[in-house]
Amino acid sequence: MKEKSAALIIGIIILLAFITPFTFLRDVEKWYGSFLFWLLATSLVIIINVILTKDWSSEE
Amino acid sequence: MNVSLIWWGLGIYIIIALVIAFLSRTGKQTNMGAYFLGDRKMGGFVSALSYSATTYSAFMLVGLAGLTYRGGVGALGFELIYLMGVSLIAFFGPRFWIVGKKYGYITPSQMIGDRYQSKASAIAIAVSNCIFLIPYSAVQLAGVGYLLQGVSNQQISFSTGVIIAVVLALFFAYIAGIRSVAWTDSLQSLFMIIGSTFVVLFLVHELGGFTGFFQQLETNHPEMLTVPGNGYFSFLTFIGLTIPWFFFSISNPQVSQRLFMPASLKSMRHMLLGFMIFGFIYTLVSIFWGYSAFLLEPGLDNPDLATPVVLTSTAIPPVLAVIVMIGIIAAAVSTIDSILLTLSSMFAKDVYGNIRKDTTDQVQLRIGKFIIPVIALMAYLFAELQLDLIAVLSVASSAGLIVVVPTIIGAFFWKKGTAAAVLASTIIPGAVVLILELLQAKPFGLASGLWGLGLATLLFISVSLFTKAPEAKANEFIGYIKKNIHRKRR
Repeated sequence: MKEKSAALIIGIIILLAFITPFTFLRDVEKWYGSFLFWLLATSLVIIINVILTKDWSSEE
Repeated sequence: MNVSLIWWGLGIYIIIALVIAFLSRTGKQTNMGAYFLGDRKMGGFVSALSYSATTYSAFMLVGLAGLTYRGGVGALGFELIYLMGVSLIAFFGPRFWIVGKKYGYITPSQMIGDRYQSKASAIAIAVSNCIFLIPYSAVQLAGVGYLLQGVSNQQISFSTGVIIAVVLALFFAYIAGIRSVAWTDSLQSLFMIIGSTFVVLFLVHELGGFTGFFQQLETNHPEMLTVPGNGYFSFLTFIGLTIPWFFFSISNPQVSQRLFMPASLKSMRHMLLGFMIFGFIYTLVSIFWGYSAFLLEPGLDNPDLATPVVLTSTAIPPVLAVIVMIGIIAAAVSTIDSILLTLSSMFAKDVYGNIRKDTTDQVQLRIGKFIIPVIALMAYLFAELQLDLIAVLSVASSAGLIVVVPTIIGAFFWKKGTAAAVLASTIIPGAVVLILELLQAKPFGLASGLWGLGLATLLFISVSLFTKAPEAKANEFIGYIKKNIHRKRR
């Protein structure tokens, strides 16, 4: 994965992590509201990090 | 809680940690690179655990749990957005690492000083880091004092707790520098996560399993599952808290220095991903801990007391409470020892090394080792004095350190950045953050960190446009990274 596209995707997810819970999920008073949303968003970011760094070499 | 049980718990923890610290003394640490960076040969697994233990302090199970208690799910969002921000390592990590190896940097401030060709910049950043991080360590020490005092029902004094924490941190930092810190950190990170996860699972089970747990929240306290919820996490409060922490991985020297240490980029990858998984679990554990406290002991005036209150309540068997208590102490000590080591390396390299001409590596190492106990003593005295100013500085630390972010981004991505801009964007916004925190002021509802970052960015760009950049160095530095960053990927 290219650095720039990874930065863009992570940036969008983080932006959504700020906006969504305060807007669309504002009234969802359930575990599957903001709670689950933030967990999923973070998991997605971790997966992108896994992909982005997968070819980092072991050269010292 | 039974005092002898507390002493037994502490004793076992201290003995195991000391044995690990002594065992870590392999090889000779006769130069700065060996003592402070582990010869740039750190493996991925230890790096990941040590990075986790250094990042996560007593704040998690006390402060973050308290935030959950007070404001609900917003605390989860705040901490997870920080964790997403650790992705910055995927972009900045290889760059730090490549130039660290090429130019032999020991500290992040040394890198800034060299990149912008300005000793004054290195000194300014090193000094400002000390101003914010020594009080931050002091508050961690005080936290251990209060915790032991609280759970022992005043039978262990505040001072005893503070002394235990400072002596441990000093030992771990001094015995073999970063090697003893990394190995004891690894052990302490396991204390932190295994014990607390186990205890939180126990608590959730007692409160009706995950289904029953969430049912209680959804039925009786639905506002705890939304933001702004009960009103605590207004959007402005939320971003005021979140933004300074978001940049933590590049703005805080005790963690950004770690980017010089991995043996290879593959080790750095393991450090990054290992930390993210650790952080994900530990955040969830701390949030569940906060929610459990809320369900078990609602109505506390001071949410920071939620953890000690739950630990001493009948809801948790004493042995489990001691395990969590040790985990919290380990979290504090493992943060303080890394800060001690980083600040002393900065003092030796950037302050002493730049003020005294022609100092050798050996002399700097001696100075660095001499300064470790001095900084520990300062943190101890600040903790004992319990001055309001110290508390203010500690709270301001993440906001105060954020002012260096434009400088760091500029170092890697903007050739026009200048030394004058580094000084202006570090000193002026740093002072503004301090004043805002002292006055407890939030102009236009914005927290000090947001003002600090905004002002630092503005100053860094505008001053750079009117002063002369170190072009040759900028071209060489950024050019070298460009040439090598792809080679380091398979």
